Amino acid sequence: MGTRSRKRSIAIWTLVAIVGAVSWGVIALVRGEQISAAWLIAAALGSYFIAYRFYARFIARKVLGVDDKRATPAERLEDDHDFQPTDRRVLFGHHFAAIAGAGPLVGPVLAAQMGYLPGTIWIIVGVIFAGAVQDMVILFFSMRRNGKSLGQMARDEIGPVGGAAALIAVFSIMIILLAVLALVVVNALAESPWGTFSLAMTIPIAVFMGFYLRMIRPGRVMETTAIGVTLLLLAIVAGGFVQDSSLADTFTLSPEALTFCLIGYGFLASVLPVWMLLTPRDYLSTFMKIGTIVLLAVGIVVTLPVMQNEAVTPFASNGEGPVFAGSLFPFVFIIIACGALSGFHSLIASGTTPKMIEKESQVRFIGYGAMLMESFVAVMAIIAASIIDPGLYYAMNAPAAVVGDSVQSASAAVNDLGFAISPGELQSAATAVEEETLVARTGGAPTLAIGMSEIFSGATGNSLKAFWYHFAIMFEALFILTTVDAGTRVGRFMLQDTLGNVWKPIGRVGWKPGLYATSAIVVAAWGYFLYTGVTNPLGGINQLFPLFGIANQLLAAVALTVGTTLLIKAGKLKWAWVTGVPLAWDAAVTLTASYQKVFSNDPMIGFFAQRDRFRDALAAGEVLPPATNVDDMNAVVTNSTVDGVLAALFAVLIIVVILDASRIWFKAIRAREPLPSTEAEYVPSRIRAPSGLFATAEERAVLAGGDGRFMRDEREVTGIGSQPPGP
Amino acid sequence: MTLRQALSGVRWYLREVSGESGYDRYVAHMRRDHPGQPVMSRREYERRRQDAREDNPRARCC
Repeated sequence: MGTRSRKRSIAIWTLVAIVGAVSWGVIALVRGEQISAAWLIAAALGSYFIAYRFYARFIARKVLGVDDKRATPAERLEDDHDFQPTDRRVLFGHHFAAIAGAGPLVGPVLAAQMGYLPGTIWIIVGVIFAGAVQDMVILFFSMRRNGKSLGQMARDEIGPVGGAAALIAVFSIMIILLAVLALVVVNALAESPWGTFSLAMTIPIAVFMGFYLRMIRPGRVMETTAIGVTLLLLAIVAGGFVQDSSLADTFTLSPEALTFCLIGYGFLASVLPVWMLLTPRDYLSTFMKIGTIVLLAVGIVVTLPVMQNEAVTPFASNGEGPVFAGSLFPFVFIIIACGALSGFHSLIASGTTPKMIEKESQVRFIGYGAMLMESFVAVMAIIAASIIDPGLYYAMNAPAAVVGDSVQSASAAVNDLGFAISPGELQSAATAVEEETLVARTGGAPTLAIGMSEIFSGATGNSLKAFWYHFAIMFEALFILTTVDAGTRVGRFMLQDTLGNVWKPIGRVGWKPGLYATSAIVVAAWGYFLYTGVTNPLGGINQLFPLFGIANQLLAAVALTVGTTLLIKAGKLKWAWVTGVPLAWDAAVTLTASYQKVFSNDPMIGFFAQRDRFRDALAAGEVLPPATNVDDMNAVVTNSTVDGVLAALFAVLIIVVILDASRIWFKAIRAREPLPSTEAEYVPSRIRAPSGLFATAEERAVLAGGDGRFMRDEREVTGIGSQPPGP
Repeated sequence: MTLRQALSGVRWYLREVSGESGYDRYVAHMRRDHPGQPVMSRREYERRRQDAREDNPRARCC
């Protein structure tokens, strides 16, 4: 680099650092007056840029030792379907679409009950030192092992016990994840004919797209998606008319009815051919996802809303928040998983992406970079939840057990919590978005939709408020359903694979009875938790969301343990803190949360304390509110027992994995040389491609006039890379 | 960068990301590496690719 460009670079990075630092200062120091969301955006972006430029580069070069002279599995094993060297920007798009979903939108909304500050700090600091590190490290290690899955790596690197624990962790998080996400959809659509109609219409739209793509215009994905999106927008508009028509009753479904619809849908989606429903739905939801995220970012930057929420609410310390119980540590770090540190990502970073990466150094842009972007989505979500009136926020997010079912009871309950909203204001907030009521619309999606409709109508005028609300509901429900159908299918394959070891026929993917049976088991498993969540008198989100967070952070602990083990095994003990410190933090958070969920004497927090309280009351012939009859009481006792056992199981799994791994750590540390490597062989690479988003001047010189995207053509023209390496 | 270049960049990105350009790449690959062998029609190719996804579900995160 020339001195001039070096000086310029120093000047630019100093400026970025100053902007970030000043923004953090403003956020931290301004008290007693409302601040603009712009400061949060600036603090986040400034921190991301610095982290990406310096920390991610340090990890790539020093800790992992990426080597662009080494061929990636995509280059060595290129075939027609799995292994394909893919342009970094294209792969970034695929990877981001796979990791980002409803999680980073829902968690921050719930965590806003502790104020916007704790959540925002965790989202930004967590992603930089834990979440993005995990994604990038797992992506790298899986890439060096021809795209092995996290479960396989746990078994190979730690041992059969650790491997089995990892497998159970993966399966159970899948079930809880699907149940909680489905619960978010149920809470968003229950008793709302507009939302239910629009979402129901996505099924025929997707099936139409599937047939169109299969029979009429094979492979014309963009054209098909354009038609699908147009139909979808029409369906949202039509929902408004349906709500005012005689059809309204048909689409006004109770939470229980919706639950059974979802369970049936999940089963069907899992057994139908993918081209008919799953693939076209995925196109639709990916497009809507990216589109809406971009729209939200533009909306926030254009309208620069002001935060209404407090920076830190009393619930952060007293642990008596109505949305979820427990104090800031550990529960903010559990509730906000996606967006800061999400174990689920390690399944994606060790699945498709490592098989498509073109150059080793691109793990930084794709692994670390995509996670920073997801974190940014989470920051926008906490902004959207914090710009609405706190009174409305609590009226919407506290369970019905707290706020009752009328605007009067909700208004009184919110006043008791120390916030204010009048019954009239609550009613007019619902009327503005053409919903019957907004009281106890838990799950995060309706709150986010209110926040988004505030932001968007700030730019487009209030007349479109109801449209934007239902647009936001629809887009969240749409991609949650996509996660539900893809997840059910993945769960089914995992089950078939595992059961196939015991009884061969069930492992055959084409065997119909096995396929139906395993699909039914998976659907029944998440369906059970969904149903208990929907009918739980204490509120499903309040009870289940912490479990989902614990499961997700458990999986992150497994991933970080695998990463740490691999670093130590490779003789890089001095760098093991890079994954070791986030692992220690994650284990502390998750174990504390599980401990409190299992052993706390406070029935609001501890599942077993809750069980005892209701069981004793039952024995004494009493009915405790919010239960209204003996059946409710029994339901609470059963749910608390199941949830408590799960929380204990998750804690045991983490301990098993870490203990089993530490055995390997000691062995590796005591060994004189690095333990035998499980990496795939070294083959020199013949592909040349830039590392980051933009090609640097040197890279451009090497590519000789070609931007990265001409690389593959160039390789094809010269023929290098497509022939086996010479002797 | 001119508007035309920008638009062609966007078009290139969308075709790559959506997988629409897969068939073109397949044809180029067959012509180059396996000349003389039959090349699948687009319909056939896309059908095969869709069916390959059947047994290879991709997880979507939360």
